[in-house]
Amino acid sequence: MGIVFTRLFSSLFGNKEARILVLGLDNAGKTTILYRLQMGEVVSTIPTIGFNVETVQYNNIKFQVWDLGGQTSIRPYWRCYFPNTQAIIYVVDSSDTERLVIAKEEFHAILEEEELKGAVVLIFANKQDLPGALDDAAVTESLELHKIKNRQWSIFKTSAIKGEGLFEGLDWLSNTLKSGGA
Amino acid sequence: MSVRKQRPDADHLSGASLSDLLNLDDEENYSDELDDEETPSAGAKRKLANFLSVSGNDLCADCGSPDPKWVSANLGVFVCIKCSGVHRSLGVHISKILSVNLDEWTEEDVDNVIQLGGNTAINLKYEDSIPNNFRKPLPDASIDERTDFIKRKYVMQQFSNPDEHLSCPFTPAAINCSSTGVNPVVEKKYLNSMRLHNFGQAFLNTRKRKDAEKKSNSMAGMVEFVGMIKVNVVSGTNLVIRDVRSSDPYVMISLGTQSMKTRVIRSSLNPVWNEKLMLSIPHDVPPLKVNVFDKDKFSTDDFMGEAEIDIRPLVSVAKALENNGNANGPSKQLENMDEGKDKNTHVNNGTITVTDGKAKQDIALKLQNVESGELQIEIECVALTQ
Repeated sequence: MGIVFTRLFSSLFGNKEARILVLGLDNAGKTTILYRLQMGEVVSTIPTIGFNVETVQYNNIKFQVWDLGGQTSIRPYWRCYFPNTQAIIYVVDSSDTERLVIAKEEFHAILEEEELKGAVVLIFANKQDLPGALDDAAVTESLELHKIKNRQWSIFKTSAIKGEGLFEGLDWLSNTLKSGGA
Repeated sequence: MSVRKQRPDADHLSGASLSDLLNLDDEENYSDELDDEETPSAGAKRKLANFLSVSGNDLCADCGSPDPKWVSANLGVFVCIKCSGVHRSLGVHISKILSVNLDEWTEEDVDNVIQLGGNTAINLKYEDSIPNNFRKPLPDASIDERTDFIKRKYVMQQFSNPDEHLSCPFTPAAINCSSTGVNPVVEKKYLNSMRLHNFGQAFLNTRKRKDAEKKSNSMAGMVEFVGMIKVNVVSGTNLVIRDVRSSDPYVMISLGTQSMKTRVIRSSLNPVWNEKLMLSIPHDVPPLKVNVFDKDKFSTDDFMGEAEIDIRPLVSVAKALENNGNANGPSKQLENMDEGKDKNTHVNNGTITVTDGKAKQDIALKLQNVESGELQIEIECVALTQ
């Protein structure tokens, strides 16, 4: 019932709501990011076979954040969640250089989706705490972000376990959404 | 009133139909279709499944849980989902976790795993000098206990016999790094320095992390799901009046800890939502809870009835379909198989149908603890077995 009351009050104060999908390959750090944003803590995780969804209140925006499982056979179900999405957070394991090509392919496939045409895109170059992690410039290049057309996007270096870069990314997202980005 | 009437012959059909469906592969017409075309990935998976049944691979290499379904592709061990979570937290430079069933496998990847020798061989190496009084984590071990052991085993390699190191576990592709052609003495020296380095690194990391991490005891990221359910909240009929002459109804559905709401329909006792809501199905498959509320702007929303749906029959049908990988099989129908068994006797659990490989169920729900009201709901289930 708590949710009902929270929603009631926030609707009274006129908060903006946004639906966000957190996507990325398996083991990119999506679930850790979700709960770091929601609880401010590092949780232990297991692979997400399905999805987690939580509400994150930030900068007067109520983000409904969907963290969708990243295993190969779960990825086709991502599209069930595409309608009415304002933003995508695409998470990359910056230390998993071998799979950046697959990460790039999945990313550009998402951008092709008609239902996500209006969604803004925030990329998290995650796991900056691990040895051999590529920086944001290198991830930008690997993901071929320069190919993105007609869409607002940004990339941030993040470490979900250290809590670095995540809220900077949400700042960009909330400013972009408030200024009518989606 | 539009509560679906139960067919008179449903009782006779129920048991037989369910067992038919759960044993699809016994039926010739199904197995024929299955064997028609096998993708290369399916062939590789079969090979992996065979290797998984080899003795030693049937228990998690780290905690001994039965039936592990996750593989560290570079270390070559089969582990359970909880230990796989710990492996993943170490980074791909230590362990690359893939799912036996939920990830795609190439023939080459499978061969690499097989070449590494499986759990028994790998544990001989990484647990060679494990002290007699040392207690390995058990299947019910805490995450901290698992993490401690797995770090000592693979990162610091505290239990490995240094003389038996012939491969270099720290390179991302240990599988491509056999000792052939490399001077073993040089390699051993390299490895020892690597171990020292990594030990130091791990020590540093724990110290650093204590400052930076706010480690949580929450189990939020640890929920084991077995699939997803799509609930189409179609419409309501004859709902109760909660405002002056009508109500502003919305529906909230919940499964375990997840909840979703439909939009509010203003001033209607026969609202049509036609809204599809998704939920993850937790491991223990709790009942799907349905609540109807009247939206009030300036006070607490009013209760307009509730109901519970036992989704276990639907989930088991979806699981059977998944096992058969039979996406285009002919439609099958099951009739009210658990009618009457449900503690909520007014729930009319409708027909389970299988169309295009998906298990669906249309339900007419009589709302409980309220004077009147029914809901039309369609649910569709996707099983995702580890």
